Amino acid sequence: MHAAWTVKYKPKSLTEVVGNRVAIGKFKEWLKSWEKGVPAQKAAFLHGPPGVGKTATVEALASDLGMEFIEKNASDYRTEEKIRQFAGLASQYGGFFGKKRIILLDEMDGIYGTVDRGAIPAITEIIKNTRCPIVLIANDFWNKKFIAFRNKKKYLVIEFKKPSAGEVLKHLRLICAKEDIASDEEAVRFIAQRSEGDIRSAVNDLQALGQGKRRLTYDEVSWLAYRDRKEVIFTVLRQVLYGKSCRAAKQTVGMVDVDLDMFFEWIYENAPYHFNIPGELANAMEALAMADLYRGRIRRTRNWKLMRYMIDFMTAGVAMARDKSKPTGWIPFRFPQRIRMLSTSRAERAKKREIGKKVKRRMHISVAVAQKDVLPYLKIIFENNLQMAAGLIDWFNFDQDEVSYIAGSKRQAKAILKSMELDAAA
Amino acid sequence: MSYEMWAEKYRPKFLSQMVNQKDIVERLVSFAKSRNVPHCIFAGPPGTGKTTAALCLARDLYGDTYRENLMELNASDERGINVVRETVKTFARVRTLGEIPFKILILDEADNMTGDAQQALRRTMERYTGTCRIILIANYSGKIIEPIQSRCAPFRFSYLPREEQDTYLKHIAQNENAELLEDGLDAIYDVCRGDLRKAVNSLQAAASLGKPISSETVYSVVGRANPADVHAMIKIAMDGNFVEARKRLREMIMKYGVAGGDIIKQIHIELFRLDVPESWKVKLADVVGEVDFRLTEGADEEVQLSALLARLAEAGYELKGG
Repeated sequence: MHAAWTVKYKPKSLTEVVGNRVAIGKFKEWLKSWEKGVPAQKAAFLHGPPGVGKTATVEALASDLGMEFIEKNASDYRTEEKIRQFAGLASQYGGFFGKKRIILLDEMDGIYGTVDRGAIPAITEIIKNTRCPIVLIANDFWNKKFIAFRNKKKYLVIEFKKPSAGEVLKHLRLICAKEDIASDEEAVRFIAQRSEGDIRSAVNDLQALGQGKRRLTYDEVSWLAYRDRKEVIFTVLRQVLYGKSCRAAKQTVGMVDVDLDMFFEWIYENAPYHFNIPGELANAMEALAMADLYRGRIRRTRNWKLMRYMIDFMTAGVAMARDKSKPTGWIPFRFPQRIRMLSTSRAERAKKREIGKKVKRRMHISVAVAQKDVLPYLKIIFENNLQMAAGLIDWFNFDQDEVSYIAGSKRQAKAILKSMELDAAA
Repeated sequence: MSYEMWAEKYRPKFLSQMVNQKDIVERLVSFAKSRNVPHCIFAGPPGTGKTTAALCLARDLYGDTYRENLMELNASDERGINVVRETVKTFARVRTLGEIPFKILILDEADNMTGDAQQALRRTMERYTGTCRIILIANYSGKIIEPIQSRCAPFRFSYLPREEQDTYLKHIAQNENAELLEDGLDAIYDVCRGDLRKAVNSLQAAASLGKPISSETVYSVVGRANPADVHAMIKIAMDGNFVEARKRLREMIMKYGVAGGDIIKQIHIELFRLDVPESWKVKLADVVGEVDFRLTEGADEEVQLSALLARLAEAGYELKGG
């Protein structure tokens, strides 16, 4: 069973937190000031965009200083009762074992002004009387509901900014090293840049793409560009592949924001990895084949009403294929390889065609037959016999690019061309 | 030393050099002698000498001026009606200056022509018979419309018998100083079955390894040159590795451009050689047939065939006793 990397590689100590050195320094200084007694600013308000390390900073520092760490998030501190519990915790300076205590109220954005009326005043009241440091965290400090915290005398407000792509990159590289993944510099840089400073999402992306691989190439991550930050393709796929009801599986079509064909490709690509009983897999693939059959009928007849059956099969049909199988562990979702092959092999196909045309001119066969029946043999010859390859280059009049393609590598192409030069010199 | 593709280098130039298809060659020789050629259809499997026979006939007819009197078109590259309307017509109607009053048009892979193009060709054949004779070359004459067939003299080419293929290959090997072992010859026949183009290409690729040509070298070369190894794909699926089997399928279709219909045909053949209970073969044949039908309804080749592979994986699993 694999753990989420965001948890596995959460900073254990303040030095491991990525970026925001100034903000962290301020916060640390404030927390240390509690050693000399209760300061004027009894609470710190950390704010900034998601995934930049606000919570991680508090946790890491608490651990560095050996403090008792009490965390509450949005769902916890709305009710009167829970807030009263806080009052109790906050009234003592230390815990039972003499440990100093720090209280974190996370995800303050989740408090709703109208629904949770009274929550904020209750919190400010607790802060007024607290004997231990209280930390508040939210994304949007400037929201009206937090107006009470804008008093700088009472509250230390610290802004966390997005770490630079370079800082994120460093962190990702570290994880790659620990996971023993040889990653292309380009690939990791791409993930880092795309995250726009959201470390959490960068690490999630890295895990989704890289887990279990020995090597991560740019090619394998470039499809991230397709993915919108808001898009929930992974969640939605899970709901199709592990859906318990037809309704749940079918709902996904409205949730996902790629078109139906692309959604089909996602399901078709990933389904085989998530059914480990052959009978169930066969049923799932048959459901997809049925969906595809309806897709074909729609194309042929332009009868768009048939769309609903395509949806039934590709979602509910796949979900209902599962009877007992329950794959364990974290199985990363994969970008549809067919789509990738289509885009990457376009240039290759063009080159093959050019080669095919030159073969055709010499051998009285069609381009298609040349590609199918001659090119594979040329490849073998070019890989094994410099002299014969050199002669054929002349005979077919292949250019350097074409030679590289047939020879399979630049190195071999160079060797062949070199032997041609020597031949010519002699 | 100069190298070219052996298949081209050793292609016969004149009818008298053709070793195979004796009956056909005899008739073609008589055409050349009488200096009259009807429209022809050369039908038969690949690598049996159809194109070669047509080229030889042209050389025998025209001698040194054969290039001016011959046009080769490949319908697989230019299959539309416009080719017939423009290229073919322009060539066909212009009178030749030589002794022989007509030119020859070789229309290769004619079974790839669209119906429209064939209809257009039919009129062209009639109108310009005086100035142009057409040789249609196809794997299946059935794919050529009746009216064209009835205007042509039919010739059926068949696979070369073993001895003829062997003689030919030995001759090439000797000329090229390649050591061709007896079991190498067996292996080439085993995989090429009288398809001479494939046989000669295999021979050349095997020779490029620079070792004596044994069955081992032949099989390794042919295995690498033929990615459409349906047999291997089925085996992988039945061994339970569906993901790998689908990957093979995907490469066949996307990387090597093998048509889904051809893969199905091959699967159907392999099916009855499988090591599964006899009654299963019939059931699996039904699945294959269903996939075949769905493809005609516009379904996606890979998706449909991978559903079939998943069924094979299931069959393999149950065979092992679940």
